[in-house]
Amino acid sequence: MLGKLSWSAIPIDQPIPLIAAGVVLVVILAVLAWVTLKGYMPYLWREWITSVDHKRIGIMYILLAMVMLLRGGSDALMIRVQQAIAYQSNGYLPPEHFNQIFSAHGTIMIFFVAMPFVIGLMNLVVPLQLGVRDVAFPTLNSVGFWLTATGALLVNVSLVIGEFARTGWLPFPPLSELTYSPGVGVDYYLWSLEISGVGTLVAGINLVTTVLKLRTKGMTYLRMPMFCWTTLASSLLIVAAFPILTATLAMLILDRYFGFHFFTNEAGGNVMMFMNLIWAWGHPEVYILVLPAFGIYSEVVSTFSSKSLFGYRSMVLATMAICIISFMVWLHHFFTMGAGPDVNAIFGIASMIIAVPTGVKIYNWLFTMYGGRIRFATPMLWSVGFMVTFIIGGLTGVLVAVPPADFLLHNSLFLVAHFHNVIIGGVLFGAFAGLTYWFPKAFGFRLHEGLGKAAFWFSLIGFYVTFMPLYAAGLLGMTRRMQHYDVAAWRPWMIVAAIGFVFLTIGIVFQVLQIVVSILQREELRDRTGDPWDGRSLEWATSSPPPVFNFAILPDVHGEEAYWAIKSRAKQRDLEKNEPHYEDIEMPRNSPTGFVCAFFATVMGFALIWHIWWMVALGFVGAFATFVVFAWRDHDEYVIPAAEVARIDRANMAERRALASHPGSA
Amino acid sequence: MTSEYERGGHADLAPGEESQDGEVSLLQRIAGYLTGLGLAILLTATSFFIAGTDLVWQPSIPVALVVLAIAQMGVHLVFFLHITTGPDNTNNVLALAFGVLIVVLVIGGSLWIMAHLNHNTMPMDQIIHMQG
Amino acid sequence: MTDAAIAYPHGDPHHLRGMEASRVAHAGPPSKRIVTGYGFWIFILSDMVMFSAFFATYAVLLGQTAGGPSGRELFNLRNVAIETGFLLASSFTCGLATIAADYRNKTWFHLAMGVTCVFGLAFLAIEAREFADLVARGAGPTRSAFLSAFFTLVGCHGLHVSAGELWLLTMIAQVFAKGFRADIQRRILCFALFWHALDIIWIAVFTIVYLLGSAS
Repeated sequence: MLGKLSWSAIPIDQPIPLIAAGVVLVVILAVLAWVTLKGYMPYLWREWITSVDHKRIGIMYILLAMVMLLRGGSDALMIRVQQAIAYQSNGYLPPEHFNQIFSAHGTIMIFFVAMPFVIGLMNLVVPLQLGVRDVAFPTLNSVGFWLTATGALLVNVSLVIGEFARTGWLPFPPLSELTYSPGVGVDYYLWSLEISGVGTLVAGINLVTTVLKLRTKGMTYLRMPMFCWTTLASSLLIVAAFPILTATLAMLILDRYFGFHFFTNEAGGNVMMFMNLIWAWGHPEVYILVLPAFGIYSEVVSTFSSKSLFGYRSMVLATMAICIISFMVWLHHFFTMGAGPDVNAIFGIASMIIAVPTGVKIYNWLFTMYGGRIRFATPMLWSVGFMVTFIIGGLTGVLVAVPPADFLLHNSLFLVAHFHNVIIGGVLFGAFAGLTYWFPKAFGFRLHEGLGKAAFWFSLIGFYVTFMPLYAAGLLGMTRRMQHYDVAAWRPWMIVAAIGFVFLTIGIVFQVLQIVVSILQREELRDRTGDPWDGRSLEWATSSPPPVFNFAILPDVHGEEAYWAIKSRAKQRDLEKNEPHYEDIEMPRNSPTGFVCAFFATVMGFALIWHIWWMVALGFVGAFATFVVFAWRDHDEYVIPAAEVARIDRANMAERRALASHPGSA
Repeated sequence: MTSEYERGGHADLAPGEESQDGEVSLLQRIAGYLTGLGLAILLTATSFFIAGTDLVWQPSIPVALVVLAIAQMGVHLVFFLHITTGPDNTNNVLALAFGVLIVVLVIGGSLWIMAHLNHNTMPMDQIIHMQG
Repeated sequence: MTDAAIAYPHGDPHHLRGMEASRVAHAGPPSKRIVTGYGFWIFILSDMVMFSAFFATYAVLLGQTAGGPSGRELFNLRNVAIETGFLLASSFTCGLATIAADYRNKTWFHLAMGVTCVFGLAFLAIEAREFADLVARGAGPTRSAFLSAFFTLVGCHGLHVSAGELWLLTMIAQVFAKGFRADIQRRILCFALFWHALDIIWIAVFTIVYLLGSAS
């Protein structure tokens, strides 16, 4: 009846996950109780859960990422503490638990922190920058988000019901095959990624279509802000790479569930095919994450240097070059696995070539800053911190791209330090820069500057103190994922790294404080102009937060840096007093399709993990029925009458005019 | 919104494209699909014939089969999916080119890598022989 | 800090102000039908990339028969030819269905979709019989890596056809109940793209798996 599921699936003998899960459960119940008691439930359902507004969905993506960052960060804390004390001892984490923790840490940080963070920012900002009212497929956008949330939920359910994979963030066979991992851990991994992978693919298709097809009048390709270009490149990579992940994991599922022989040791299976395919996805994935971050830095550096972006066209070229070349380097993840000198040399050279367009970008940002009037607000601090940090990460990357060097460094902590260097210093710093930069646009008030700066400095210092020692330990020969070790020379580095993590934690605490304090002081931090940073692209041309339709009249773009041009023109003519002609606006209606569909996907995923076949059928039928019901509805749009549009827009314009007549009051 | 369905459409329209100039008759559109079907059947039949025949030089068969398959894919793209080189179709074709590039890289790269992975190791069967 | 000035440009139909704009024309978002068609085209390309992973695996594992039967001993080309015939014919009738939809002719639409459905089912039936036959002969997917790859690649195409059948029936029901609404027309367009794209995959399957597998 319940497949493999029984009471023994709950790890009563392991206090750490149980206590952690208990705390989380209490927090969730408390939040739910508070929301219900305050009567916010209908509001949440109406305005957020069923919302198809790209801004709301983007915010929910980011919220998911930040919550998961806390989960992944707790895992990281446990790893660092374990390695600091496990010198010639077993530490406090038994091996099977330690293995689950580093696997969950990697999986969560990549798939449920970095991915939703960048997808959320793209969702939030790109339609605004393109001057349109929504993404190409609003309801599908909601489906994509909720499927991602399903994946995150399943990973976290594994904390209390059953176990998580012990195979690392990529489940390499034969370890991940049924013979060596008979538990449900790998199944949790596989199904949560298959489901969230569909969500990511949907988001990618949506954004590609949005950028290529939905641009406002006059917004030609070479007038798009840089962030739109990097979104396009990153989404193209999602569309091209995620199907490979889906296929590869499907093959592993077939091996595990039906005894196929893709990656087994018997009957001609080939484990190397798994490494090959997973990295054919895995390398583009790195650029899926970092390209949007590059776009954010471009926007931030240009805005806060009060200059247009240096070398816009070279930046576009570099982005698209990275988009293509990132599909030609995947073998560098397994140089050591037996390929001959020809193969290794060519992939090594390709890996070094991809550093060139990245270098072009760094120079472009530096030249953008050169001669500019730089304002060191929090987003700019994250960007400058990124440039310094990412250069170190990039250079160590070029180092491991040299096959002979990689033979020494493969699977060492040097490698761990390298990819944390580029992912924290590149993606996460970018996400934080984007968060502080666009937060006022999303919510109508700025984030607290002092706390933001504190968060930045603690994170930056914490990053260096944590990860520079890992480079050293790696060079001393320490391999990754060690539950305990007996080499005295490694120990000091592990202790320093643990101290560094304290700084990182303080940085995160300041981030949380920053948001809490800013909400409390939102009246003082209110952004009435819609343009708190003196921005240059169209998202600043509308109010903060933007009305549901984004723009009362779709803007007509006459050059690069659309909003800057509008502002300059407006300044010349004092302020335009003549009112535009407002028209009715059709907007997509909210729909619970995404949420309901994700509910059934959760049921189905859970049932598949535990082999509860009747429940699988139930989940499938439910999901299909949801789509049919959605397809059957008669009205998919509602109309905002012109009078209402005019009222909202007039209020916004009046506020701006009032502020503009008192310069400096903003 | 209704105007785009009133006319029969164009014989050679990109997916989703509505007809812009000139009416294309119903017969012309059906003829388009018929041509596609005819060419597809012809190419398929040739493929199946070549695969089983002794009439041609044997080593040329795989090459011929691949060429025929690519030709038939082209026929389907043009006559059934309406992906053409028209100006309104640039985005579709560019996307297709990107897709083809990725497919070629993934398949070609995988075959090349996997064929060379045992360069530094002894083949499995020899190890088994040594143990046996 | 901020010069809080904002103005929306007027409608300027002749582009007299922005001289450049008259040359670099971008008219703004196209119709929903074009956007939907394009988005679905992107999805189809992503699906092709997924198949490329299965094709690559099949090609790599081709020789790994683990002492079991190889493709040459198993494949029945006559069967494959009949399957291909059904699929090609169904693609043609699917094309007719889209024309009928454009002319808003329910009778012809339902007829063409019905025939498409029957041809698709015939294809699936033959494939299912082939699979059942192989399993009965001890050449199931668990026999060897080669057979795992074969069943997965061909079966994945079959699964797509099955999903297409489900979609097809839903579309028939929807047109029956709701008529040719704009959003339903867009779905018919997407369905047609999907169904035709499955042919392209099938061309690769019969050439690489069956014909090359039997020839060499």
